[in-house]
Amino acid sequence: MIQLRNVSKIYPNGARALVDVNLKIDKGEFVFLVGPSGAGKSTLIKLFYRDETPTRGQVQINGKNLVRMKEREVPYLRRSIGVIFQDFKLLPNKTVQENVAFALEVIGVSRKEVRARTSNMLELVGLAGKENAFPNELSGGEQQRVCVARAIINNPALLIADEPTGNLDPETAWGIMDLLFNINKRGTTIVMATHARAIVNKMQKRVIAIENGRVARDEEMGGYGYDV
Amino acid sequence: MTFNFPRYILRETGHSMKRNPWLSIASVLTVMVSLVILGFSIFFLANASNVAQSFESQLEIAAFVKDDATAVQVQTLQSQIQGMTGVASVTIVTKQQALADFGKNMGGSQSNLVTDLGGTNPFPDKLTIKATNPQDVENLAAAISALPEIDTVRYGQGYVDKLLQFTKWLRWIGFGVVGAFSVASVVLISINVKMNVFSKRREIQIMKLVGASNGFIRWPFLIEGLTLGLLGGGLAALVVGMGYNWITMYIQSTLTFLPVVRNVVLFRQVLGGLLLAGMAMGAVGSGVSLQKFLHS
Repeated sequence: MIQLRNVSKIYPNGARALVDVNLKIDKGEFVFLVGPSGAGKSTLIKLFYRDETPTRGQVQINGKNLVRMKEREVPYLRRSIGVIFQDFKLLPNKTVQENVAFALEVIGVSRKEVRARTSNMLELVGLAGKENAFPNELSGGEQQRVCVARAIINNPALLIADEPTGNLDPETAWGIMDLLFNINKRGTTIVMATHARAIVNKMQKRVIAIENGRVARDEEMGGYGYDV
Repeated sequence: MTFNFPRYILRETGHSMKRNPWLSIASVLTVMVSLVILGFSIFFLANASNVAQSFESQLEIAAFVKDDATAVQVQTLQSQIQGMTGVASVTIVTKQQALADFGKNMGGSQSNLVTDLGGTNPFPDKLTIKATNPQDVENLAAAISALPEIDTVRYGQGYVDKLLQFTKWLRWIGFGVVGAFSVASVVLISINVKMNVFSKRREIQIMKLVGASNGFIRWPFLIEGLTLGLLGGGLAALVVGMGYNWITMYIQSTLTFLPVVRNVVLFRQVLGGLLLAGMAMGAVGSGVSLQKFLHS
């Protein structure tokens, strides 16, 4: 599903975000990405949906080479990947319902189906009744759930989550984790960057630790591993 | 049922304008104000060149025929001058006509006048010549005065030069004003469109991250730009149309000597042009500034 070979990313300002990273994630895996802030987790994640391209090395998603990919192919890649953004990235002038529906409209789903699927999805993430609210009228946790709903609504093959529980109370956080777990069971590959020790330790999934732009640890059924 | 893209575009456009009412109003007003100024400047040009033309059309050459010429000779002379290049028309004013006109102007009767003048008509036969191009008046006059049957020629010597200089400047000022305001309105509107698109760059970025193709993002923006431009252009056409109509009616009723242009065809062309200009600048401007954000 995901394959990185000798990937390095140096930003124009000279910051070395990733250094010679090799990584292979198979279809159907659930992977936690841990590591201190600024270690390169976000950069790594951005490579997956081609928000960034590596300075050196190759990135392959679903058999497609992202480095050689043409710009007009990028939308199609992104439609097969759901992303739960750390800063939500909701469209400020669209309602909750419209934000979630947008991911379906983009791929040309009919109006009737869009309506049915969004209202199911909003119910699933506990936002029933908030359909017509605008993002700035929602709490952080609610906005995050809108983002989750948008990311998973078209059943992506790969779901990338950057701190999806960061703004949630423990109960809601576990609700989201249950949701991700269920999606994973249906075959979606999930890569989740997180600082939530309790969740990582309890789920017993593969854990990849990134430190100073390198893979510091990669273990099956791992734990969070950092003592704070 | 499949996805209805045109319907999606219209819905998006409507939402976007409704949810950013101040941005939309500001855009419409910018387009309107720029085009109102441009519209009035075009009518200023039309009137300036109209005034210039009406001054120029009053330029004519008066050629007085020698006293011993017969009526036939005068007629031959007429067709001879008519044949010269640059001559628009030649009309004969006979001695009798000249006397009659003079009498009318003086308010007396003709018979009395002849008697008063000692039984003879002092007026010579006259040819009034109009040039096709006012620039040619001076050369034509020289050529005509060289004809043997012609006694003297008058064409406002000295005055013609100054008049032509003045009308030339009048036209240049008209063109200058239109040119300056065209540039100004293009700059003003494109800055506005750029700001409009710039304020949405985050939205565009998000749409791209969710997998929207460039076309999917572009169309609602283009239609929005086009609609706002059309509204601005329409309002401008309305203001210019009604304003110009009112001003010219006022001038016609108070300053009757001033010639004003009231040309229905020109009127429609200018107003239609404003409408189209607003629409085109809105759409093209949005498209061009959007392109930058789509490929970043």
